[in-house]
Amino acid sequence: MTNTARGIDISVGLFILLGLGSVIFLVTQSLGSTGLSDNESYTLHARFDHIGDLKLRAPVALAGVTIGRVSQISVDPGEFRATVDFQIDSRFSQLPIDTFASIATSGIFGGKYIDLSPGGDDMVLQDDDEIEFTQSAILLENLIGKFMLNSKSASAE
Amino acid sequence: MSTLVRNSWLSFSEFAATFGGFQMFSFRLLPYLPGALLKPRLISEQIYSIGVLSLVLTMFGGFFVGTVLALQSYGTLVEFGQVDALGAFAAEALVRELGPVVAALLFAGRAGSAVASELGLMRATDQIAAMELMAVDPIERIVVPRFIAGIISVPLLAAIFSTVGMLGVYLVGVHLLRVDAGAFWTHIHDRVDLFEDLGNGMFKSFVFGISASLMGVYEGFNAAPTPAGVSRAATRTVVITSVWILLFDFILTGSTLPGI
Amino acid sequence: MTILSNQTPANLIEIRDVRYHRGDRAIFDGLNLSIPRGTVSAIMGPSGTGKTTLLNLITGQLQPDEGAVLYEGRVVCPCSRRRLYNTRRQIGVLFQHGALLTNLSVFENVAFPLRAHTRLPEQLIRQIVLMRLHSVGLRAAWQKMPSQLSGGMARRVGLARALVMDPQLIVYDEPFAGLDPIAIGAILRLIRQTNDVLGITSIVVTHDVEEARMLADLIFLIADGKVVAHGTPERMKQDDSPVVQQFMSGLADGPVPFHFPGPDYAEQLQAMSGS
Repeated sequence: MTNTARGIDISVGLFILLGLGSVIFLVTQSLGSTGLSDNESYTLHARFDHIGDLKLRAPVALAGVTIGRVSQISVDPGEFRATVDFQIDSRFSQLPIDTFASIATSGIFGGKYIDLSPGGDDMVLQDDDEIEFTQSAILLENLIGKFMLNSKSASAE
Repeated sequence: MSTLVRNSWLSFSEFAATFGGFQMFSFRLLPYLPGALLKPRLISEQIYSIGVLSLVLTMFGGFFVGTVLALQSYGTLVEFGQVDALGAFAAEALVRELGPVVAALLFAGRAGSAVASELGLMRATDQIAAMELMAVDPIERIVVPRFIAGIISVPLLAAIFSTVGMLGVYLVGVHLLRVDAGAFWTHIHDRVDLFEDLGNGMFKSFVFGISASLMGVYEGFNAAPTPAGVSRAATRTVVITSVWILLFDFILTGSTLPGI
Repeated sequence: MTILSNQTPANLIEIRDVRYHRGDRAIFDGLNLSIPRGTVSAIMGPSGTGKTTLLNLITGQLQPDEGAVLYEGRVVCPCSRRRLYNTRRQIGVLFQHGALLTNLSVFENVAFPLRAHTRLPEQLIRQIVLMRLHSVGLRAAWQKMPSQLSGGMARRVGLARALVMDPQLIVYDEPFAGLDPIAIGAILRLIRQTNDVLGITSIVVTHDVEEARMLADLIFLIADGKVVAHGTPERMKQDDSPVVQQFMSGLADGPVPFHFPGPDYAEQLQAMSGS
């Protein structure tokens, strides 16, 4: 094999290694600290009157720590409520059945996420269970409207 | 005014005619693909000439796009109090969009035009005719190895672009703009999704790679056998490939955005 | 079972009543031509009469609209890839500038057909290539790249490559174009020697009357899509038809006009100054 042929082979080999290495690097950056893509998870459902701008893949947090992601959002045509499905990491399988799920906002302009407050019951939520106690998103417009209404009635008195 | 209309119509019909010829050429290549994998040496030589030689340009571009991205988005993020998300924002943009698109555009300019010129020159100096007369199939021998080399190289170059871009973002973000390093990386991990972002990006660059390679070999192989023909082939490759990349980017991004 | 002798036609190539047109221009309109075995034939004619098209018809790259092109008594037809390739393997072509593959060395260029079509051991390939290069005088240049060769040298390498598979027919496309007298002399000698020593048939497409006269056994003059004259060089010299005379003596004007056809001179001058 001539020198140039060998040189070419080496460069091509290095190039491909560099490329694959980059891909692997990017893969490691794409795996979240929850690593839901490779951990076991179970599903829970919750229904809300209003979800605000809650999106798919929004975090589900317990005490402020992300333990899951929203996996599906749908609306029930009969009941006129939104049904949200989310995946919870199987390490957190001890959530009591009276856990409270509310839609909270991250920071002032942040996105919506689901905040879980555990209750005190002995029984725990199983896969595919529904959380009974929910609070819908607080919409800024409603808040402002209420505020204005209150100040109007206050000034009326 | 009517000259403008007439010229536009001519350009369009030329485009359409080329498109038809282009499709037939692409189909012609298909049967050769399995066999080509048995000739790794030819492919390897081409990966060198179009991939390895594009590496420096790609890394250079990636790094500076990363730094500019960081600088540019910093201002807006500070306003919204989301400075810690700098890394995540930039990473997502790079991996999904900028990596595949810019790396492919750079490739089209550097390697696409080189392939087109090379093949065009071979056509103009009767090398292709000589091969046919020596009963060697020029498609098998010159066209297909270049095509396959392009498909392999472009996604790799896109990944390298994104990675070096991240390096640029990190250097500017953490060392220049004093974003917290821990938050920087954590936000990236949280936000960038394997399939949605990286998977889409890689898929896009794969599509771009096919387009760029195909265009380059097509224009070169079918170039008019004159010096003017060769240079036209090179220019057309860059222009048409770039247009296709941007068009495909729009289509692929629009159809894979979550929630749409 | 005898396959040879009376089955082998005396004419290697026969072109019968071939018509070929491109667009609405008739390039060949009833072309008839026979190339006997073992001869060096020169095909000449004014520029643009389709000499290269003729080469393409012989090698099967183009098919005639009407008529037949026969190689060794059989029609050259692109109906089967395999048959076409088999025919082409017996024909060597030397292109105008050599058409060497620019990314391969001289050695690799000459070895190319051997590597593509045979499974000869490396040692044997080396010997064959060096022999061929030696016969064209370029054995010592085996490592050079095509870009380092002069025009004449590139053409000689092309000749070596065309001969490496021992073809029966070798076609030269404008072998003298653009060469200095020394190089022309070298090529002339090579063409003649190769033909006689190897016992093959040669076709030379050229404009160069002097060279053709010195070299060829037979000359064919093509004009207006037909063979207007053919014969040995002496006979052609004595042929007194105007077309032949114009071409062989290099007269600027004659049956092939000097002026591009157009309107009357005086009329056009008047028209421009008037309006």
